[in-house]
Order: sequence, then C-alpha cells, then structure tokens
Amino acid sequence: MIPAIKIENLSKSFKSYSKQEGAINSIKAFWNRKYIEKPALRTTNLEIQQGQIVGLVGSNGAGKTTLLKLLSGLIFPTTGHAAVLGFTPWNRESNYLKKMSILLGQKNQLWWDISPKDSFALLTEIYDLDRTIVSKKIIELSEVLNCTHVLETQLRRLSLGERMKMEIIGALLHQPEIIFLDEPTIGLDIIAQTSIRNFLIEYVKKYSPTIILTSHYMNDIAALADRLLLISHGQIVYDGSVIDFTKKAQKKQKVSFGLNIKPEKDIEIKTHFQSLKINKTHEQFEIDIQPSELSLILSVLAPFEIQNLKIEESDFEDVIRDFLSKESRVF
Amino acid sequence: MSLETFYRRNRAFFKLGILSNLEYRFNFAIDALIQPIIGAGVEVLLWSSIFAGLGVAQIGGFTQAQYLAYFVWAAFISRIAISWMYEFKMIEEIESGSVNGLLVRPLSFYEYYLAQFFGYKIVTTAISLIVPLTVSYYFKLPVAYEKLPIILVLMFYYLILIHTLSFLVMTLSFHLNKISGFTVAKNITLWLLSGELVPIDLIPQPYQSWILSLPFANGVYIPVGYLTGRISSEVFYQGFMSITVSLLALAIMSIYMWRWGLRTYSGTGA
Repeated sequence: MIPAIKIENLSKSFKSYSKQEGAINSIKAFWNRKYIEKPALRTTNLEIQQGQIVGLVGSNGAGKTTLLKLLSGLIFPTTGHAAVLGFTPWNRESNYLKKMSILLGQKNQLWWDISPKDSFALLTEIYDLDRTIVSKKIIELSEVLNCTHVLETQLRRLSLGERMKMEIIGALLHQPEIIFLDEPTIGLDIIAQTSIRNFLIEYVKKYSPTIILTSHYMNDIAALADRLLLISHGQIVYDGSVIDFTKKAQKKQKVSFGLNIKPEKDIEIKTHFQSLKINKTHEQFEIDIQPSELSLILSVLAPFEIQNLKIEESDFEDVIRDFLSKESRVF
Repeated sequence: MSLETFYRRNRAFFKLGILSNLEYRFNFAIDALIQPIIGAGVEVLLWSSIFAGLGVAQIGGFTQAQYLAYFVWAAFISRIAISWMYEFKMIEEIESGSVNGLLVRPLSFYEYYLAQFFGYKIVTTAISLIVPLTVSYYFKLPVAYEKLPIILVLMFYYLILIHTLSFLVMTLSFHLNKISGFTVAKNITLWLLSGELVPIDLIPQPYQSWILSLPFANGVYIPVGYLTGRISSEVFYQGFMSITVSLLALAIMSIYMWRWGLRTYSGTGA
C-alpha cells in the first residue's frame, strides 16, 4: 500500500540574526549583522499510512509545527523530499490543496470581518464544492459541535471556543483526505476541549482521514492517536503506539503516606526518581517510585506504622511530561 | 480549472471585498462619501481664493473653471487609482503570518486581492461619483460627460497595473521584516508621476515627456485631461497600450518575486 505521507531526509533550518542589547549595538547591527542558522527539523525519514491518526508531541520549539508547515506546503525544506498523497506539498498544486487541510490553533483561518456562514460560502467557491451538499454538511457539523446559533455572527464577536468550532467546520468542509491539526484545543476550557475531542473521535470513525495532530493536552493524543511521534530538538525520538510508549517509558507511581510513630533520627529513602527525608516535623510524605521499589520502602517504613497509604499510577500525561523533561533520551 | 470555476471563485472574492467593507458602515460612509465631499470642498475654496487673490482670468493659459474641473476630477480619479490600503493589507498578511490561511487553500493570492480590490473600488466609485458630478453641474465646469464611461474603463484597467505594482512591493516583505517605507516612497512618487500633485502639462520639458512616457499618468492626468479637454483622444487611447506593456513587465517580475518569496518564507509564528 502506498503511504499517505513519505518523508526522505527532510530537514529545515531557519536563519535569524542576533544583536546585543542597547542603542550602540543597534547602530552597529545596522551595518554588520551576525546571522545564525538554527535547525528546526533535523534530517527526518518517516512513513505514515492512510487512515492513521498520528499524535506529534514535543515541547515548544521542538519542531512539530515546522514539520506540519512543510507537509502542508507552507514552507520549503532545506534538504530532502516529501510526498503527501503523491504530491510534493510545497509545489502547492490545487489538486493537493483540495485534498488537504491544516488547522493552526493559534491563527485564524476564517475571515475575521464576516460571519462564519459567509466564510463557508466563500470556501464553497474556493474549493469548487456543491452548494447543496455544503449546506447540509454545515448543518450536520454545527449540530454535532452545538454551535448552530453562532453561524451568522461576525467571527470577531465569537468566544475562543466558538471560533475554534467554526475553524474546525471550515477545515473539514471539503472533506480532506489528510488533516494537519496543530493545537486544535489550545486555550479552550475543559468543556470545549472535551466537545472538540469527542467530535474529532466521531469524525474519524465516519470519514477515516489521515491525521497528524499536535497538542499540549495529552488527553487529546491519548484519545485520538493510534501512533505516537515524539519530537525533541528537531528530531523524532520515539515512533510507536501510545500503549507501547507508556510501557517502554519508566513506569512511575506516586506514593503518599503518614506515620503513626515518629522516627527518632531522620531516615533517608532513595528511589529511582528522588530521595526523601523522613523526619519528625512532617505529618504526611510523598515520593515517586518505580513499582518494584514499593515492597522495599514498605519494609523500611513498617516499624513506624504506616497510615493513609495511597498509591497512584502515572497517567499518559505524567509519562510524557517526565519524558520531555529529559529530552535527550532516544528510544 | 474551468472558466466557470474561475468566475465563481473571483465573484466570491469580489463579494468579500464588498461585504467586509460594508460590515463597518460608519467607516464606509466616511470613505465613500464624506472624504470626497471634503476633498471637493477644499478644491473649490482653494481655486476660488487663488483666482480672487490674484485678480486674473487665467493662470498658465487655463481659467479658474478649467483648474477647478481638473482638480475636482483629479481628486475623484486619484482616489480610484490608489491601492495602498490593499497593499498594506497584503504586507500585513505576510508580516503577521496570516497569509498561512490563504497559502493552504487552492487559490491565487494575486487573484484573491485583485477581485476584492475591484469589489471595494466599484462600490466606492459608484457612490463617490455623485460628488464631482454635483460640483461640475453646479459650477458649470468644462467637463465632457460622454467620455466618462471610457475613462472609467481606463481607470479600472489602470487599477490592475497598480495592484500588480502593489503585489510586487508586497513580495519584498518575504525577505524584509518591515517594508512600509517602500510603500510610502512609492506613493509619493506616484503622486507626482500621475499628475495628481500638478497637471503634467505644467511641468517643463524634458521632464514632461519623461513622465508621459511612463504608464502612471494614466492614473490621473490622462483621464482627467481627456475629460476636461486638456488632451486629445489619441493620447488618451495610447494609455491603454502603455498600461498593457507595463502590466506584462510587472507581471513577469511579480511571478518571479512571488516564487522567490515563497522559497524563503518562514511561515511566521504558529
């Protein structure tokens, strides 16, 4: 089967200039600028099959958006090649753009000065769509997203959540085969996040597009993605399933407890993650451990009569956070 | 792409130009009607004062009515023949990165702005035309009204040239972070070269011939001169030819600069 996305030796560097603070340095920089070339995406090879939902995760500046911009044809690469649905994205052929959609959560793509309904009418002409089919689709999508009431309100007057729902409808109107979602739930409250997440789950079930999704909310990734790409310093450092990642990443448990008998001397407990001093002054203690360390800790603390013992498993978000804090690791 | 698709798409952009301007009614009313009224009022006061103060019947071989006709119509036509507001919009799209939303859609950035520009210009022109017509009728100015339709055709043809020039200036913003200085410098140059500042027939030779050899006199001097009887129909119709030749040259440069710009574009922001 031909992959939906095939990337070979793709990389992107950006040029910027550095200037020291102050007016004198501004005058100096007027004539003599020091340019720096910063790699945003290092040499990358990747294949994504049709219908896959890929979660792209990394900290700010890791290269996620650069990869999406390359694949959507917004920017040219420094080296390498990419084929998306058989097209070279940065050639920006109409046939490719009609099959693709990108939603940039931090940028408006609909028209600010007019209502979403007017924007959708414009998109109907841009994508050369059937007006009757589009009208039905707008009703269908806006009903599921529960935002029918704002279709005729000027975009600039909508709340962030309502605007994002409109952006999503606009991005899906032409039923793209491939969708790039860059932070679709950024800045939204928990209700709007859940609503959009549930909508995307249903949409994927119904239309089976290929999706690359970036999000800082790991619940989005866990709920939607069937493949996880972790990117760090412009390099893909993990490529596999969400479940495998959680298994592969060091499993962490959070143990909290109190002690009935206060120890005479301070006791120091060292785990894989941290060390904890048990002393007379505190009532309640908390420590991160590996599951295998639990029995040893319990045996050390048993003479002091453990009370209120609570053991919490790390969720996906904790594992990712832990991973990103030690970004240099490569799986 | 079929002709029908092209037509439907451009009609939609054209409507967008009208819709997005009509959303702000107060600003639109000032732009389309109040500003032209103030401009015409200034010209009437200025030329009445000059001729009354000097106590002469003619200046440089032209009467007060001829000067008034020239400058009232020049004020109207020069308002049609400017594109700086859409030029700033296009530049802002690149500088802020909001162009991303357009680059990922199957549309031409040039076409998108040209059709909107025409939508906006046609509506404002139709409304603001009331002002010079009223002034000309009231002061019985020497105006050949039957030439107005062909003059408007030339004006809208000239708008394509001016839009292409704006597009070319805008492509520089792919390489330079701030280019508003270019736009201002270009506008000042056009102010002189179009004959808006001073009728070109009052400029001494050889500068007059140099300016007339450029297409920009079609922005104000040639249409207004033709309407007010200062130039012949032969010179007027040559305007179409000079616009066509310049348009071809600018189009080639614009295509090259656009492609080069996209290669260096960094996608600004998220």
